[in-house]
Amino acid sequence: MTGLHKPRSGTEWATVCVAVLLVLLGLPLLIMGAQLAMIGGSFYYVLFGAALIAAGALMLSGSVNGALLYLAAWALTWPWAFWEVGLDGWGLLPRLFGPTLVAVAVALTIPVLRRIGTSATSATGSVV
Amino acid sequence: MQRTSLMTATAVFGLTFAAVLPVPFNASFAQTPPKESAPGPGNATTGHDAEKSSDKFAAPSPYAPQAPGVNAANIPDGPPAEASEATPPVDQISASPAHDDWPAYGRDTNATRYSPLDQITPENVGHLTRAFVYHTGSKPAAGQINKWAAETTPIKVGDGLYTCSAVDDIIKLDPGTGKEIWRHNSGVKYESIPYTAACKGVVYYTASTVPEGQPCHNRILVGTLDMRLIEVDAADGKLCEGFGYHGQVNLMKGMGESVPGFVSITAPPPVVNGAVVVNHEVLDGQRRWAPSGVIRGYDAETGRFLWAWDVNRPDQHGEPQPGQHYSRGTPNSWATMTGDNELGLVYVPTGNSAADYYSALRSPEENKVSSAVVAIDVKTGSPRWVFQTVHKDVWDYDIGSQPTLMDFPGKDGPVPALIMPTKRGQTFVLDRRDGKPVLPVEERAAPTRTDVPDDPRAPTQPWSTGMPRLGVPDLKETDMWGMSPIDQLYCRLKYRRAKYLGEFTAPEISRPWLEYPGYNGGSDWGSMAYDAKAGVLIANWNITPMYDQLVSRKKADELGLMPVDDPNFSPSAGGAEGAGAMADTPYGIVVSPFWNEFTHMMCNKPPYGMITAIDMHTQKVLWQHPLGSARANGPWGLPTHLPLTIGTPNNGGPIITAGGLIFVAATTDNLIHAFDAKTGKELWNDVLPGGGQATPMTYEYNGRQYVAIMAGGHHFMMTPVSDELVVYALPERK
Repeated sequence: MTGLHKPRSGTEWATVCVAVLLVLLGLPLLIMGAQLAMIGGSFYYVLFGAALIAAGALMLSGSVNGALLYLAAWALTWPWAFWEVGLDGWGLLPRLFGPTLVAVAVALTIPVLRRIGTSATSATGSVV
Repeated sequence: MQRTSLMTATAVFGLTFAAVLPVPFNASFAQTPPKESAPGPGNATTGHDAEKSSDKFAAPSPYAPQAPGVNAANIPDGPPAEASEATPPVDQISASPAHDDWPAYGRDTNATRYSPLDQITPENVGHLTRAFVYHTGSKPAAGQINKWAAETTPIKVGDGLYTCSAVDDIIKLDPGTGKEIWRHNSGVKYESIPYTAACKGVVYYTASTVPEGQPCHNRILVGTLDMRLIEVDAADGKLCEGFGYHGQVNLMKGMGESVPGFVSITAPPPVVNGAVVVNHEVLDGQRRWAPSGVIRGYDAETGRFLWAWDVNRPDQHGEPQPGQHYSRGTPNSWATMTGDNELGLVYVPTGNSAADYYSALRSPEENKVSSAVVAIDVKTGSPRWVFQTVHKDVWDYDIGSQPTLMDFPGKDGPVPALIMPTKRGQTFVLDRRDGKPVLPVEERAAPTRTDVPDDPRAPTQPWSTGMPRLGVPDLKETDMWGMSPIDQLYCRLKYRRAKYLGEFTAPEISRPWLEYPGYNGGSDWGSMAYDAKAGVLIANWNITPMYDQLVSRKKADELGLMPVDDPNFSPSAGGAEGAGAMADTPYGIVVSPFWNEFTHMMCNKPPYGMITAIDMHTQKVLWQHPLGSARANGPWGLPTHLPLTIGTPNNGGPIITAGGLIFVAATTDNLIHAFDAKTGKELWNDVLPGGGQATPMTYEYNGRQYVAIMAGGHHFMMTPVSDELVVYALPERK
């Protein structure tokens, strides 16, 4: 990682927005999630929050691994949600709906991040 | 977590689909205005200092004269009356209603809410249209705090549809056109409105000493918010001179110190064997030594005092001597009572002693009769039996429902029985003769852990195991809900930070405690409907937990919690709204819905309201489903306009018709609903001009069946207030 990637186009700016969003969403999940875990509640939220912040940070540095990390966390959310509430529709809504919307946005950044990744490698190669 | 960042994050995560996701809310509760949230840990110490009352103002002496306006019509009291017996009565029409009529609040003296009318059927109910709308004219004026919730069910006898406005004006309408025939202005002032401006209904009384054709042979009786009994002539609405003092009785006589709005009648007082039995609401949470919850009988014919049942003066049935008063702080009863002419009893659903959440200052006599059904002999005013639904109640589980009478099919023939719904969702079925359970009731261990000094909880509580429970299992962390993982997490934290040991979790000072069922029920004042022919009981009920916390006197003062009779009390001041002073005790109380105070969505997952049909022969659930849609509710109080049935909080009862229909409004979606009584399928609904927080009724006039609902709204349910009585019928054949 070589620090923050500087956006140069509209799609890159959009990617940065998604990354910042992940960090913003991750912070309350991390903080309240840690509080919840400490008083005997679920560990899911602190882990999910940490994953969001890491994913956002990686994406800000131009790494496609950030997007993949979020998608992995999102994918693991599904079995957790079913484990917690089974097939209860109302129960599944808060657990899956929002994160899935975010997953769509994150998935759309993958081509952008791939492109940044390719150019970053060549640029790094030339500088170092 | 900072409020702003949580808001932002929740909004970002949630807003995108808030429009898609139907979320109800605006939780709803009956008697106590709630706070946004409990103060949380560290709010108070439990040390000795914190228990000392630091009330800034000395409590008014119970012997102090009543404030101006308490005796609203300035009726001279006269000397205290001895106990006496009622003028021998004639049979009342509510005991055997005519086919076309709905002559009493619960239709008949058994309070079945069942009508034999069958013109409107599952096949044609979809064609119902508005026949007429009547404006009662009672709603908040500009600048007045909205305390309105009319909760009215009209009655229909012969050629009259009789109703009351939210502030007790008595009205006779033409049942076919809604045209006003007469109106009696009762003159209730705004200051006299307690928590809620409600008039559940009027009473039709036929005199025993006035012959037919003379004035006041048939009368309309109402109990008012400012504690009067008023009788007017059913024919012309004029006061009945022969009743009380020119047609009125002052019910504040003998009550001791009070201020307007502290004590009120909102339910129709039943007439049983010539005695009008009067109960009243005492504003919750004010002070331990609030005015008495005394139950009294008056002669329906003359308004003469007959007897009093005063819990802490059990052997004195007369009025208090001059300078004395009925015993203070005793359990009050605000629900609609049911009379039993055959057994000469009135069934009184009681509430709690004053200062609901602290029980250390209650007498043993109070502890025996609070949150109970008390059967009082209408000749003497003595209780014949008592059945208690909560022991040493500190959860505001006062009974809001009217008991429904039925013949329970027993081994040796029918047993005269009484169905008592409760806020706990436990429905007790009792023998009316002795109060013994007809269906099994078990005493089960209840949580007793509490950090409140010297206020131990009852080790067991009664469970009606023979009847289906109207409730959901104890809440779990995974039941917490939200629009997104973030607000759901917030609720999970709230859940974990509270003390919760299941139902009857005892009050706590050092942190909030979670109360489920909450004080809106289970079953509240809407009560139930019973079809005796089919043996089917219909109930709509709530799943609305509360988040409560006791606070030290010091903290209560900081929060501005003040009793209504405090000289500094102001209904518009921030903290004064809180029903939590509990003055004269060491603690105040903060009650709040168990919700996310930022989004105003409940913390538990839907549904929040249900409707259930129970076969009383087998005590099995025939059908049960969520009641109420998300159309008018959503996060931040925004309507979602979605027709999705989510199950909303509801207040107001169901009715059953022989046509095979159930009508119920009650829900916070502002709809009136019609269900197929057999299957529970929703067949019809209509958007009301205000919240339908009232029980509908039905009647026939000139061969046409009508369905009436008071769309008065409910200030605390946050449904729109209107003054419209909406009446439906099938289109007339041309």
